[in-house]
Amino acid sequence: MKALILVGGFGTRLRPLTLSVPKPLVDFANKPMILHQIEALKAIGVTEVVLAINYQPEVMLNFLKDFEAKLEIKITCSQETEPLGTAGPLALARDKLIDESGDPFFVLNSDVISEYPLKEMIEFHKSHGGEASIMVTKVDEPSKYGVVVTEESTGKVERFVEKPKLFVGNKINAGIYLLNPSVLDRIQLRPTSIEKEIFPKIAAEGKLYAMVLPGFWMDIGQPKDYITGLRLYLDSLRKKASPKLATGTNIIGNVLVDESAKIGEGCLIGPDVAIGPGCVVESGVRLSCCTVMRGVRIKKHACISSSIIGWHSTVGQWARVENMTILGEDVHVCDEIYSNGGVVLPHKEIKSSILKPEIVM
Amino acid sequence: MGGSEERVVAVIMVGGPTKGTRFRPLSLNTPKPLFPLAGQPMVNHPISACKKIPNLAQIYLIGLYEERDFALFVSSISNELRVPVRYLKEDKPHGSAGGLYNFRDQIMEESPSHIFLLNCDVCCSFPLAEMLVVHRSYGGMGTILVIKVSPESASQFGELVADPVTNELLHYTEKPETFVSDRINCGVYLFTPDIFTAVQDVSSQRKDRATLRRISSFEALQPANRSLPSDFVRLDQDILSPLAGKKQFYVYETTDYWEQIKTPGMSLKCSGLYLAQFRHTSPHLLASGEGMKTAAISGNVYIHPSAKVHPTAKIGPSASISANARIGAGVRLVNCIILDDVEIKENAVVIHAIVGWKSSIGRWSRVQASGDHNAKLGVTILGESVMVEDEVVVINSIVLPNKTMNVSVQEEIIL
Repeated sequence: MKALILVGGFGTRLRPLTLSVPKPLVDFANKPMILHQIEALKAIGVTEVVLAINYQPEVMLNFLKDFEAKLEIKITCSQETEPLGTAGPLALARDKLIDESGDPFFVLNSDVISEYPLKEMIEFHKSHGGEASIMVTKVDEPSKYGVVVTEESTGKVERFVEKPKLFVGNKINAGIYLLNPSVLDRIQLRPTSIEKEIFPKIAAEGKLYAMVLPGFWMDIGQPKDYITGLRLYLDSLRKKASPKLATGTNIIGNVLVDESAKIGEGCLIGPDVAIGPGCVVESGVRLSCCTVMRGVRIKKHACISSSIIGWHSTVGQWARVENMTILGEDVHVCDEIYSNGGVVLPHKEIKSSILKPEIVM
Repeated sequence: MGGSEERVVAVIMVGGPTKGTRFRPLSLNTPKPLFPLAGQPMVNHPISACKKIPNLAQIYLIGLYEERDFALFVSSISNELRVPVRYLKEDKPHGSAGGLYNFRDQIMEESPSHIFLLNCDVCCSFPLAEMLVVHRSYGGMGTILVIKVSPESASQFGELVADPVTNELLHYTEKPETFVSDRINCGVYLFTPDIFTAVQDVSSQRKDRATLRRISSFEALQPANRSLPSDFVRLDQDILSPLAGKKQFYVYETTDYWEQIKTPGMSLKCSGLYLAQFRHTSPHLLASGEGMKTAAISGNVYIHPSAKVHPTAKIGPSASISANARIGAGVRLVNCIILDDVEIKENAVVIHAIVGWKSSIGRWSRVQASGDHNAKLGVTILGESVMVEDEVVVINSIVLPNKTMNVSVQEEIIL
């Protein structure tokens, strides 16, 4: 089976992290974002993944070579020369997605994190016999998104309503699709929206079906949702009683610690913390609701909450970092500094406190 | 005096990519030394000034950027200005004097009698030939270009005290907290090859001190001793300060303009200063606005030959338009830098701003700022490929590359 992952563009909402690497390579729960999806696809027998990209292909291709070998799955890139929207890239990658088997192919959005119940989706698709299946997920504020209105018993999609003013339903497009090759015949090679142009046509013909996504779902394309997404993800690890979660007297709640990270004495870590490879957390440190990326050093007595600490940064002794502070790559927060929502671009030193949310260039 | 054997070499320090984050967001796309001021890369201006030095043998650019960032530039500028320019990459930072020392073999290749050291991010008239004349009369190891500034602003720089009669450097202190002098270091120096000995002395002293085991714990905590590697030598603190008052260094004072180009806001100001200088030295480079088919030009304006400007537009004062830019009908540009491939649509207004490469400014939109070149948001900066939609207003803001502005903003940084 084949799959396409829509990687898209510049990832500007995840700056300053995306100033250092393209968005799919930003780590989430100690793994590049896109690896979560590639592993889920590999697990159900996908043999080839096509990445639809339009930015920094060289960086992506280098990284992929490592993963191709480790995962034993074929990974190729389909590069847009102009932005093709959410459907156009499928037409561009047509030859890679169709083979003699006539099997349907998956389409995933690289910003989405979820349980990826892909096996169940294959069964759902076979059972309804339609042309296309999409996952939908329940949200609290559906009018922020595109709502999918379905027939309760069969899941057949009746219509899409973009940002509805009145309540029509609370299920939105989760960005995970399973499509028959015939869908490609409907898509021209030009900027096209799959939600606005392609799916409504298939729905009108009664051939589009929606499955409610069990488990969590999050679009982690911006820092606030990234932090919420980590909580949901770690929660799902807990539900599966995953051995990956850390245990110990200094751990509260769900915490992920890479085996090469070191944690000192007298720390209190958690809940909802991910500590990446090669990190050093010195003694007396308090971490909660935060991500600490590869190579970071947190010095003694520091306190970090609701923040993201970028690769190879350092946080000084007695520093307090909180309230959606995002440190880019190689940022050094000096001792005793307070950061309240500072967003710091790569290669900076923070020598004076940031009292209210501000961008430090 | 000044025989045909006396060759002169110029060294321009260009800095590196992770230092100087103050030049963001423009430095996200291009090395600061190559950012255009008055239509020419920043480093062109000191290079052109070096051309006026009699017996100039070679120009070296020293920096931490990758060689490939400067390869194209160096070969084209060498051809264009008919002067040999080479880029030398430092493997690590050596400090302002250490960098010079690190490449002493190349610099001394043609046995120059004098070596100019310039900082690329200094904007001034570079009176290099005059400095050479007075330097010879002083007979010291070095001559430093200085300028008088307001006492309040002096503390941002290196302050110097010089003998009013002999012009000898008597005292030098870097960024003092209390007032020392209103004469400051312009970052333009002229040395004889003795400078290398002076740097070597500093290095050896530091090596000796490092091997001395008996530093008291109190000394070890002093910031000055927090061991700098022996090959990291700063011109100001390690050479000028200690050697002041020993008849080694002299000063030459300029009364022309001088600015440091540390931020995008300052680069706009300096672009204007260089445009004003062109009015005197190279008026043919400026747009004249003559003829029925050309746009109205006010003040000093540079327009690249490949740029297209609609005749109903009004450009200037202090505007600079780069290659392949398209300026539509009825557009008004004041005090701005419009970079390559920008499209500005009909009736748009740009005042006190820098519009990044390939950006697009919509019809009737307005991109402006207060024009305070020193304020963080005093000049509006649009990074590469920013799209401002029709009728949108962007005031006193900075927009990073690849963003689309579809709502108006004021006083914001858009990541």
